[in-house]
Amino acid sequence: MTDLHDSAAAGVHTSAAAPWSIRMRDVSVRYPNGVVALKGVSLDIEAGEMVSVVGLSGSGKSSLIRTINGLVPISSGTLEVGGRHLETARGRELRQLRGEIGMIFQGFNLARRASVLNNVLVGRLAHTPTWRTLLGLYRAGDVRIAYEALNSVGILAKAYDRASTLSGGQQQRVAIARALAQQPKLVLADEPVASLDPPTAHGVMRDLRRINQELGITVLTNLHLLDLARTYGTRLIGLRAGEVVYDGPAATASDAVFETIYGRSIQHEDVLG
Amino acid sequence: MSTLAPLVLPPKPRGRWKPWLGLAIVLLITAVTLSPQWGIAFSFDAIARNWQNGADKVLALLQPDWTFFPRTIPPLVETLQMAVIATFVGAVVSLPLSLWAARLTNPNRYTRGALKTLLNAVRSIPDLLYASVLVAMVGVGALPGIIALVLFNVGIIVKMVSESIEVNDAGPLEAGRAAGGTQLQINRAIALTDAWPAFVNQTLYVLELNVRASTVLGLVGAGGLGLLIDAVRTFYRYDQLSLIILEILVVVVVIDAVSAAIRRRLV
Repeated sequence: MTDLHDSAAAGVHTSAAAPWSIRMRDVSVRYPNGVVALKGVSLDIEAGEMVSVVGLSGSGKSSLIRTINGLVPISSGTLEVGGRHLETARGRELRQLRGEIGMIFQGFNLARRASVLNNVLVGRLAHTPTWRTLLGLYRAGDVRIAYEALNSVGILAKAYDRASTLSGGQQQRVAIARALAQQPKLVLADEPVASLDPPTAHGVMRDLRRINQELGITVLTNLHLLDLARTYGTRLIGLRAGEVVYDGPAATASDAVFETIYGRSIQHEDVLG
Repeated sequence: MSTLAPLVLPPKPRGRWKPWLGLAIVLLITAVTLSPQWGIAFSFDAIARNWQNGADKVLALLQPDWTFFPRTIPPLVETLQMAVIATFVGAVVSLPLSLWAARLTNPNRYTRGALKTLLNAVRSIPDLLYASVLVAMVGVGALPGIIALVLFNVGIIVKMVSESIEVNDAGPLEAGRAAGGTQLQINRAIALTDAWPAFVNQTLYVLELNVRASTVLGLVGAGGLGLLIDAVRTFYRYDQLSLIILEILVVVVVIDAVSAAIRRRLV
């Protein structure tokens, strides 16, 4: 995985000087089908933190990360992101908030038939008038930002290729570039390496760590592998059945801590290696 | 393990008899349809009695009147023009409507439902009926035929393309939403690229349908080869009709080849 080049990154992220914090107070999520995904979660995440959110599938970690950009609406409680209340935001206000929050998905979620560049330009939607998008007339400045974001993850050469022709690791780097093109104050990553082989997974995790360390952006990453959570996070939040069962430093979290979070003994599938 | 543990089989899925019930229902409906009391009037005797009446027509059809060729050219060109114009207009109208009619690209169930209901109504009316009414409204010629074909095309393209959008991956659209895009932006920047192959395929398919349909529309005065078909049929000129049919066959084959070439470049 190619390093984020400092100069290019600095060019892209002049606005990342003030990363965002997150304040969750007693947040619950109940889906229309009656499933309760989060039960009274309260969390304070400071600006510039690198947080790993750990839990088994169904623990609510995906719901947790999706509440933070409003993809999953919260049923009760309050949620402040960057000092702005997300639970009451609607329409344009919600879109502007989302525009400041980059998101990376397990399945990359690229438009497979579109070019790499056009996928990265999706990161500029919140800053682009609808008529420009409809006509496909992106501002030169936005295209410049997209090129720089691609350069910072080392795949500028693929800019005009169709997204589906890239390997899994390359596609996830395009997705990271899409998030970076938002010039985000906060990056959410939902199981970003679960579809990748181990070396590629470490490369993507290193990219996320550099986004945090070099650009100062707050990063929240959902993981189910304990070694990745320990290595790449500075803080570990453990979820079980929709409740926070651990919140502390990541590096020193013992196997016993993971056994508490998982509610069972550690197995070899829980480690990437 | 010293002894074989007894196999504990999972309970079999229920409802295995359902395909058989379905088959029984199909057979029952077929039997009812063929029965003398409730079914369609249908007898093999009629074929035995009447087949000779058609034989001379078939014979005439086997001997196309090549001298008729020059007179068929203007209506043939008109048919092609109608088909191309109607396909173009139909496709342009259908593209935004397809996005409007799919759940993934229009989460509002009320506007979506309204459009779908309207399209069901549009589709349930036969194109020949559109043409008949439109001939009365705008006069004999290519225009009523083109309008009838456009309605027919929109009904087909929107249904097929919106259904293909429904089975597309919702993930990329979620990424657009997470980046703060409006539904319109997401549809244009992401959904459209994924829907493009289905759209191109359906558009090329209706082009072929239009060539065949526009020949029929002429029967009610809506321009094209159909007017000529109606004329020669009235005078029992099956040799001339045969030439027209051959020409339609050639056109359909050519369009098929051209669409395959276009599809390779656009998809």
